[in-house]
Amino acid sequence: MLVENMKMAFSAIRANKMRSFLTMLGIIIGIGSVIAIVSIGDTMKSAFEGIYKDIGVTQAYLYIGYWVDDVRQSDYFTLDEMERVKEVFGDEIAYIDCSSYTSADAVNGKTTVKFSFNGIDYNYPEVQPINLIYGRFLNEGDILGRRKNVVMDTISANNLFGVENAVGKTFRTTLYGNADEYTVVGIYRKEQGPLQAMMMGANTEGGEAYLPYTILTWPNDYFYNLHIYAADEEHMDEFYHRLKTYVAKIKDRKPEDFRLNTVKDEMGSVSGMLGGMAMAVGGIAAISLLVGGIGIMNIMLVSVTERTREIGIRKSLGARTRDVLVQFLTESAILSACGGIAGTMLGGGLVKIGGMAMGIPTVIRPGVVLLAVGFSAMVGVFFGIYPASKAAKKDPIEALRYE
Amino acid sequence: MRQGKQNGERRSFGRKGQLPDYMTENICEDLIRLEDMVKIYDTGVLKVLGLKRINLTIHRGEFVAIMGQSGSGKSTLMNILGCLDRPTIGHYYLDGVDVAAMNPDQLSLIRNRKIGFVFQSFNLISRTSALKNVELPMTYARKSKKFREERARVLLERVGLGKRADHMPNELSGGQRQRVAIARALANEPPLLLADEPTGNLDTAASVEIMELFSQLHKEGTTVVVVTHEEEIAAFTERIIRFRDGQIVSDCPNVPRECGEERKTDASVKAEAAQKGDEALC
Amino acid sequence: MLIENMKMAFSAIQASKMRSFLTMLGIIIGIGSVISIVSIGDTMRGLFADLYGKIGITQAYVAIGYWVDERRQSDYFNLEEMERIKEIFGDEITYMDCDSQTSADASCARTTVKFNFTGIDYNYNEVQPINLIYGRFLNEGDVLGRRKNVVMDTVSAVNLFGEENAVGKSFRTTIYGTTDEYTVVGVYQKDMDPFEAMMMGANTEGGEAFLPYTILTWPNDMIYDLRFFCRSEETMDELCANIKNYVARIKDRRPEEIQLITARDQMGQWNGMLGGVSTAVGGIAAISLLVGGIGIMNIMLVSVTERTREIGIRKSLGARTRDILVQFLTESALLSACGGILGTLLGGGLVMAGGLLMGIPTVVRPGVVMLAVGFSALVGVFFGMYPASKAAKKDPIEALRYE
Repeated sequence: MLVENMKMAFSAIRANKMRSFLTMLGIIIGIGSVIAIVSIGDTMKSAFEGIYKDIGVTQAYLYIGYWVDDVRQSDYFTLDEMERVKEVFGDEIAYIDCSSYTSADAVNGKTTVKFSFNGIDYNYPEVQPINLIYGRFLNEGDILGRRKNVVMDTISANNLFGVENAVGKTFRTTLYGNADEYTVVGIYRKEQGPLQAMMMGANTEGGEAYLPYTILTWPNDYFYNLHIYAADEEHMDEFYHRLKTYVAKIKDRKPEDFRLNTVKDEMGSVSGMLGGMAMAVGGIAAISLLVGGIGIMNIMLVSVTERTREIGIRKSLGARTRDVLVQFLTESAILSACGGIAGTMLGGGLVKIGGMAMGIPTVIRPGVVLLAVGFSAMVGVFFGIYPASKAAKKDPIEALRYE
Repeated sequence: MRQGKQNGERRSFGRKGQLPDYMTENICEDLIRLEDMVKIYDTGVLKVLGLKRINLTIHRGEFVAIMGQSGSGKSTLMNILGCLDRPTIGHYYLDGVDVAAMNPDQLSLIRNRKIGFVFQSFNLISRTSALKNVELPMTYARKSKKFREERARVLLERVGLGKRADHMPNELSGGQRQRVAIARALANEPPLLLADEPTGNLDTAASVEIMELFSQLHKEGTTVVVVTHEEEIAAFTERIIRFRDGQIVSDCPNVPRECGEERKTDASVKAEAAQKGDEALC
Repeated sequence: MLIENMKMAFSAIQASKMRSFLTMLGIIIGIGSVISIVSIGDTMRGLFADLYGKIGITQAYVAIGYWVDERRQSDYFNLEEMERIKEIFGDEITYMDCDSQTSADASCARTTVKFNFTGIDYNYNEVQPINLIYGRFLNEGDVLGRRKNVVMDTVSAVNLFGEENAVGKSFRTTIYGTTDEYTVVGVYQKDMDPFEAMMMGANTEGGEAFLPYTILTWPNDMIYDLRFFCRSEETMDELCANIKNYVARIKDRRPEEIQLITARDQMGQWNGMLGGVSTAVGGIAAISLLVGGIGIMNIMLVSVTERTREIGIRKSLGARTRDILVQFLTESALLSACGGILGTLLGGGLVMAGGLLMGIPTVVRPGVVMLAVGFSALVGVFFGMYPASKAAKKDPIEALRYE
C-alpha cells in the first residue's frame, strides 16, 4: 500500500511539473540556506579548532587580572620566580617562557625590515613543531649565555637578506634602546593554511624571528605574564588550578586575582560563539522553510479542490477516509522531502564549491544533512495534514457531482 | 447618410489619441465579405482542411442562420467571422477592412467595437454582477464609469432585466443569463451580432424568447448571424446558409419562414454574392 | 482602468480567501521578519546613541597606545602635565580629570559594602547631569584640599547607611593601603532606563561614590590616561588632533603611538557594527521573502489555469494582451502588497510590543516601512510577471473551449 501511495504521489507530482517544481523550490531554498549557513559555521569551527590544535591546546597564559585595581610592582614576574615554578612543577610543565616579544627595525646593509622578535626557550620546538631547513635551533647555551643568535623563517630571510639560507649572516637592530649585531643560526619553513594565514596574518613584507627570551627580559627582568604548555592535556585543568594557587601564594594574592587564559578555553568559547551564531542565523534562515511549508499547504489545498472528483471516484470504489488521507499526506511529504534533498545538495554544494575556491577544507556533517531532509519531510507532513484531512472528509456524493 | 460618417467623425480611443484607420465605420454595404477564404489546421503531423475556399457576403442589416452538423466547419467559420481566428488563405473584409492580416491586439479592438458575441454556454464572468458583465466591453473600450453604468442599465432594461442588474450570474435562470449576454454583446453598439448556438442550453420557451429578442434587434437594424443546428431556430432568420465538410452547400433566403428545397451550387452562390456586391458598391 | 483592475483583483482575492491568505502569509512572514530584524537593529542603534548622548558624546580619553611594546615611565601622566594641558586648551575643554577609579570595602558600623570610587573634579556636574537631592556636590576646596568627602547615589546610601539622606554620615575605607574616614556631603538620584542599566550594570548591592580625584592619585601621582570633555561637537575632531599632537610632543612619542578614543568614534563603531549585522541578518531573513514570492508565482499560475475560460471571454469582448497582463499583475502585486502591509504591522508591532515590555523606546523607521511595502509589491510584480504573461498569451479560441 505504501508503495502504491508513493507511485500515486509521484504520478500526481509529475502531472503538474511546473507547479511541483515551484512548490519544491520554496523548500529547496529554505533547506539550502539552512544547510549552507550551518555548514559555514561548522567549517569555521573546525578551521579554528585546527588553528588552536596547531598552536597547542595545552598552552596557557597566566597574569594578574585586569580587574585588579591596585596592581603592585610585585605582581609582575621575575625570572627567578619562573625558575621556581619550573622546579616545583617539573615534568608537569612541557614548556615555559615569559611571553616576551617586541618589534624593531632590522638592518642589513641598505635593507631595513620591520621585525617581530619572539623571546623563547631552547626547547620551544618540542611544543611547537618548527620545520627547520637550514642551520640549528637555539640551544641551551644561547639562552643561558644571552647570546644574540636568532632563528627566522624563509620569507623573513628573503626579505632581509635576499636569500633563504641566511645561516651565518648578521643584521643590526635596536632592542630596548640597545643597538647590537645579531647572527642568524637557523632557518625554518612556515606552513600555513589559507584560513590560518587569514586569521593570524600572513607575513609577506615584514620579518619574524625567535631569539633567547633572556635577551628580551634584559635589562629590567620584569614581565607581565607566564606562557606555559602543560605536559598532560587530560589533567591540564587540575594542573593549571594548582599552578594558579601556587603563583597566588608566592605573590601574596588570592587565586581569583590571577587570570589564567588557556587556549582550550579560548577554543571552547570561539567554538561556542560560532556554533551559537550559526544556530541563530540558521534559525532565521529557517523562516524561509516555514514559508515554503505554507506554500506546500496552499498548493495541496488547490490540488485537493481540483481532484475532488477523483476523490469521489476513489471513495465510491471503497477508499476509506484513512486511505485518502494517507494518499495526500504521502504526496506532500514526498514533495517536501524531494525539495529537502535538492536543497541539501544545493546548500552543501555551494559550501563545497566556496571552500574549494578559497582552498579551505569544508565540513558538512551527515547529521545535519539527515536532520534537514528529515525535517523537510516533517514540514511536508505537517503542512499536508490540513489539506489531506480536507480531502479525506469529502462527501463521496458531492465529490462525484463536483464540476 | 452612412457615407457622411466615413471621413468625418472618429471616436476617441481611451485618453490617448484616435482610433486607428481600420476602425472607421460603415464603409461598405457589405458588412462581411469572405473571398476565397481557406482555413487549414496544422496539428503538427497532419494538415487538416477546416474550410475550403469560402466566398460569402452578408449585407448590413441581414438576419442570417449558419447551419450544419458538428464538424461541418460552422464553428470554424464562426471563429473567423468573430475575429477570434484568422483565415489561412484568402481575405475577410469586415466592414470593408481586411482583417486577415491583423495582429492579435488589432483583432481585440475589432472584436471590442464591431462584434457582439453570444455563446451557447452564456460565458458570463462568474462572481460578477449582471451589470458589471454588461459593462465589461465598455471597460475595455475605456469608457467612463458613469457612461458605462448608465448604458449598461439601459441595455439590461432593453432585454427585460432592469431589475436584475445587481444579480450574480448564478442567481439567474438560463434565459436570463443569455439575455445578459445579449445586453453585453450590444454594449459598444457593434454592427455585427454573432450568436453561437445561443439556445443550445435553453428550454423551448426560453429559446423562443431569445430568438424573438434577436428578431427585434434585427428589426432595429443590427446585423445578426446565428449559428445553429436546429431548424426551428433557423426558421426565425431571413437567410439560411448550410455547411457540410467545410464548404457551403446551400445559401437561400428564408422568406417566409421556409427554405426552398432547391439547393444552389457553389457557383450560383458565388454569382449571387458577386451580384449583390455590385449593387451595394461603395 | 487602474481602479477597475484593482476592483477585479480584490474580488479575485476575495473569491478564494483561504488561498489568498496562505499566499499572503508567506509575504507577511518574510516582510515581518525583515522589518523586525532591521527595527531591532535600529532600536539598538537608537539606544546606543541615547547612551552616548547621556555619557557625553564629546567625552574622550587619551593615553599611550596599547600597541606600543616598550613602555617608559614617562609615558604615564602626572598631575602637573594635566594642569598644563588644561591651561593650553583651556577654552576648548570643558572638563578634565585623570580617569581614576578604584574599589574598596566601605564600612559603617557593622555594615560593609563593596564600593567603586571614581575620582572627579569639582565641575564634573557641569558635563554630567547629576540629580543632587541632598547636601552639596564636591567643591573646589574639596579637590584642592584633598578632603575626604564623597557624593554617592541613593541606592548606595541605602545599602551602606540604611537611608537615603546620608549627608553628614561617615564611613571607613582603605584606599591604596591607607585606611581613613570619609564623610558624605551629598546624595544624588540615579536615573537609568532599563537599557542603560543593562549596558552599564545596575547597582543594587554594592555602592558607588564620587570623591576628589586628588585623593585617588595620591600617593604615586602616576596617571595612565586623561579623560576630558570637548566644548563643542563640531570642533572636537580638530581639538582631539591637537591634544594628541601635544601629548606626543611632551612624551617624546610619535602621534601614532598615542591613543585617543572619543565617545563619538565609539558610537560610530557600534552604529557601523549594528548596522552591518542587522543588514546581514535582515538579508538572510529576506530569503523567506523570495520563497514567499515563489509561492505567489505558483498560486498565480494555478489561478491563471483555473480562469482560462474567463481569459477567453475577456479576450472575445475585446481585451488586449496588455489588458490581461495588467489584470493579473495587479492581482499579484495587490496580494503581495497586502501581505507586505500586514507583515509590516506584524513585525513593527512585535518590536513595539517587545520594547514596551522591556521599557525601551523602539525605532521603526518610516523609510524602512515604505521600502518594505514597496519591495513587497515589487516582489508581487516580479513573480507575477510569468503567470500574467502566460495568461495574456492564451489563444482566445482554446481559452473559450477550456473546461
